[in-house]
Amino acid sequence: MRDPLTLTLSPEGRGKKKDDAMQFVLQLVFAGVCVGAVYALIAMGLSLTFWTTRTLNFGQGSLLMTASVATVAMLGAGMPAALAVPLGILLAGGLMVVAERIAIRPLLKSGDSMGWVVSTLGLGIFLQGFVSSVFGSQAIAFPSLVFDSLDSVDVAGVQVSSQYLAVLGLSLTLMVAMELFLRRSAWGRAVRAVSHDADAAALAGIPVRRVIVLSFVASGVLAGIAGVMVAQITGTVDPSFGFNLMVLGFVAAVFGGMGNTAGALVGGIALGVIEKLVGGYVSTAAEHGMAFAILMVILAIRPQGLFGRKEFTKV
Amino acid sequence: MPDRINPVGGLEIHGLEVRYGPVEAVRGVSLRAEPGTITAILGANGAGKSSLMKAISGLVPATAGRITLDGDDITRLPPHERARRGLSHALEGRRLFHRMTVEENLKVAWDFRNRGGSFRAVADRVYDQFPMLAPRRQTPAGMLSGGQQQMVILSAALIHEPRYLLLDEPSLGLAPVIVQQIFGFIESVCRERGTTILLCEQVAAIALRVAHSGCVLRRGQVVRGGPAAELAADPALSAAYLGG
Repeated sequence: MRDPLTLTLSPEGRGKKKDDAMQFVLQLVFAGVCVGAVYALIAMGLSLTFWTTRTLNFGQGSLLMTASVATVAMLGAGMPAALAVPLGILLAGGLMVVAERIAIRPLLKSGDSMGWVVSTLGLGIFLQGFVSSVFGSQAIAFPSLVFDSLDSVDVAGVQVSSQYLAVLGLSLTLMVAMELFLRRSAWGRAVRAVSHDADAAALAGIPVRRVIVLSFVASGVLAGIAGVMVAQITGTVDPSFGFNLMVLGFVAAVFGGMGNTAGALVGGIALGVIEKLVGGYVSTAAEHGMAFAILMVILAIRPQGLFGRKEFTKV
Repeated sequence: MPDRINPVGGLEIHGLEVRYGPVEAVRGVSLRAEPGTITAILGANGAGKSSLMKAISGLVPATAGRITLDGDDITRLPPHERARRGLSHALEGRRLFHRMTVEENLKVAWDFRNRGGSFRAVADRVYDQFPMLAPRRQTPAGMLSGGQQQMVILSAALIHEPRYLLLDEPSLGLAPVIVQQIFGFIESVCRERGTTILLCEQVAAIALRVAHSGCVLRRGQVVRGGPAAELAADPALSAAYLGG
């Protein structure tokens, strides 16, 4: 994977108002916040479906990869980006509905079965293999849609990539939109009600099945958008990029406590920043390993996550 | 209980069975709730009361039998469809949405059964009815006292003026003075709004005080039935079926 940081750290970005070391740290932190915001979108998607079904969709990464690769294929076939990108994102939502139907719903019929772990993982591996067999397992170039990876702007003396800035803006907008949806709309409240107590929600007249399907569509759309944004930053997609991304999203979700939008956002950004700092000062090879180190530390000392509350039930 | 379909109205249950795997929780229960009355369903813990209620509201499937609401067979309808037909069910154990505010709990109950009208007006009526909820409308429901939670549950269940209300152990874990207030409210709902109420209770004495008629469940079967006054006057009843 090409490291986009090397681009923003080119000599012309240096020696302005701030000295090199400061510039370097700020650029790392900024890059971390941006990729972290993308992890937050993935984390939010995983959380949404976790809330409504108490399952984790381990196929999510491969689903978003399939959608991204399909987008590349559509662009390659000459379809305009304004059509191909939304279609790819909708495809991610649609695939998520299929995943719920075939890999999750049947397995929830048998009580406390954990079969969904195997079925969602299996679906993900199948898609990864399927895409590899059709497109090959090499990285495929993903064309720049809005900004070129070399575009940059000067923010308070720090050179920041326009692409990163756009990614950050869009991610934050989506997270705010999700929060408003969950708080202010009837369907958003229904998602929360189903996650608290599906039986009580059904008795309130809420069509629980439809709310679950909705949560999967939303999860897919968020993941689809995240996939396109990551593809913009890295410039390529390959059959395994989705899985890596999902793992990072999962760590961000656990980090944030899986309870709410703020948790996903803070978890994602914290993970992104730590990762980039490790990448900048230790080695980029250690970057992704960091995610797992964080996961282990969190599970050991604060399993409910930074923002999580312990599940409480009244007797 | 006579086995007939009333085309005019009411909630009728014929030969209802509920099974959880090999366990038979409800075994051939037939009963009829007369419109505008309170029917008490009594029985010890594990007699099948909650399973009967859940089968009526659709949370658990009936393995046999038929449930009709105003003459319509609702046995196969999903629970949210039954809710939209004016059948409301307040679950046992104060199951409300703990992390949502009082107002959000009411809003969730309102949104998907909305047949028009103003939520604001309905919510204000709830706060008039239970003034102690008014200052707590933005408080997470999980932080309320048991009595206040029961008030929220009842208000949410009644927010659309349902014609039928299933209440599962509303007195459970509440202080006697609160129980009196809650039962006073239940009685007034039936009297003033004409709501048909099925009331599950382990504490027979409280339930029979407000009910018009009652039946006693034992191991999933109806073993006694009749006017509430008659059941209340029967000293053998509590000793035999209710465990004191």
